[in-house]
Amino acid sequence: MNFIKKIIPMKDFTLKSLMTFEKTPLNILMFILTIGLLGAFGWGVIEYLIHSHHAYNVTREHPWGLLIAMYIFFVVSSTGLCIVGSLGDVFGFKDYMAMSKRAILGSIVTILAGFAVIAFEIGHPVRMLIYNVLSPGLTSAIWWMGTLYGIYLTFMIIEFIFLMRNDMKNARIFGLTGLLVGLAAHSNLGGVFGFLNARTISNGVFYPTYFILTAFITGIYLTYLMYGFRYKMNFPEEIKKGLIGLAKIQTLLLAILMFFETWKMMTGIYGGMPGRADVVEHILHSGGFVYGEVLCGMLIPFVVMLTTKWKSINLYVYASFIGMIGIFFMRYDLVHDTQVKPLQMMKLTEYQLPPKWIEYFPSAAEFAIGFGAIGIFFMLYYFGQKMFDLDGGDH
Amino acid sequence: MANYGMAFDYKLCINCHACEVACKEENGIDLGAKNHRLWIQEETKVSGDFWNLDRDKVEFMQMQCQECQDAPCMAACPNGAIYRDNNGIVRLHKDLCDLTRACMSACPYNARYVDEKNHVTDKCIFCADTRLARGETTTACQITCPAKLRYFGNLDDPESEISKVLSSRKHFTLKPEKKTKPKLFYLE
Repeated sequence: MNFIKKIIPMKDFTLKSLMTFEKTPLNILMFILTIGLLGAFGWGVIEYLIHSHHAYNVTREHPWGLLIAMYIFFVVSSTGLCIVGSLGDVFGFKDYMAMSKRAILGSIVTILAGFAVIAFEIGHPVRMLIYNVLSPGLTSAIWWMGTLYGIYLTFMIIEFIFLMRNDMKNARIFGLTGLLVGLAAHSNLGGVFGFLNARTISNGVFYPTYFILTAFITGIYLTYLMYGFRYKMNFPEEIKKGLIGLAKIQTLLLAILMFFETWKMMTGIYGGMPGRADVVEHILHSGGFVYGEVLCGMLIPFVVMLTTKWKSINLYVYASFIGMIGIFFMRYDLVHDTQVKPLQMMKLTEYQLPPKWIEYFPSAAEFAIGFGAIGIFFMLYYFGQKMFDLDGGDH
Repeated sequence: MANYGMAFDYKLCINCHACEVACKEENGIDLGAKNHRLWIQEETKVSGDFWNLDRDKVEFMQMQCQECQDAPCMAACPNGAIYRDNNGIVRLHKDLCDLTRACMSACPYNARYVDEKNHVTDKCIFCADTRLARGETTTACQITCPAKLRYFGNLDDPESEISKVLSSRKHFTLKPEKKTKPKLFYLE
């Protein structure tokens, strides 16, 4: 342990101190929630190991499901927290200096939760790791995304070590490199969908750029949630200043996102391209988009922040919770809407109507693994808080 | 080397599914497995209003991997598991497939599926491991078809039956707007 402490400064802790916490109602609720989610994750994994992909409701027509959506949800969160963490230690904005350590720890644990999800989505995860190196598919956005995320995680861990050592010079170097690699990885994740020639609705430049924008938005939502929980709504002055700044940035980003979405839908419908116009119309009539993405993900937080003139931090924590629900729907809809249009519009059997839309609803195992990974995030973040001093950061 | 392709005189199809049965037998596909390697789709053109609906025309389309010359599945595979062999056929290194199913999402023709036996993705490969490997220039579906609507052969050989039929008859490919340059042709 002393050897590790020489590399990365840690608090003094014992196994008992790691397992004990203040018994407030919120802490107890979080404890029960975390245990429940971890249990669900474990059950889902057992289901997967027994039944393989048959445990999931993915089909040939809809090969990517909830687990891909949750993987994207976690890695978007990671990139977002990396951007928020970089505001202070990389770009030198003083108001955000105190947030760097917590945000970078958040970015590490969210991407680990994302990797935990994707490990049980891919049919051969070990094979993927081996042949990613031995036989790289350089034309594949998935290869670039996976490889760059691996490098990004390494840089984030090194940056975190330097942050904990208060070595700001090296933290800045690795923070900037990690940020650039993370953004490249993240836009490549958008490219996975953007390159899909077969799926007209996703094909194009929109997703690689949209992913970066929504990552920043997700990062700010999560920062609010992490600090709301950390200070139980009694924020110290230096954190308040940073959070107010983030709320202003968030309002601007949400306005830009609404602008992006409006034009995506407008050009989709009035562009009249077959396979895009009809899908956009279908999306506009779906509850997930209207209530999830638009109302929860964009409108409610935007209106709350704009009307309170960036002064009601406590309210923004609740708005951010609603916002994260919206972010989940953004990820789920992104994956589902990409595949919702059948590639073959003809009948496959006699007396059957031609397919109109591909149906998909996640199985219990998919829900268990996908949402259970939130428990992994909670657990890792909790241990991170217990082991590292994340508050002393205004260098 | 040969550059194999296939042409369909698709209007001759009687929807007997003999091609599907032959393919299953030849390539060890489980009975009951739907739309594996090849399948027949039905397109019905309906006209008129309610009470007076009329089925103008029923067409059966032979569907399988379109053997794209610019194959999106090859570009999408993160492990480089999908390759083009000397015969111009898009193949898979089964040991390299990690089942991300990126190829399935990338294929505009819905031609790929998960092979449950080998736990990899699969598609039609023109009987390359059986008939072509034995030196025969046939496929199980082509030799079995009672309507003899399938033409299979070397597209680079001007004397081959498929080259002659393509030079003498109008034909089209599926989803030409995708610019995948399929090597499967449907005769008008």
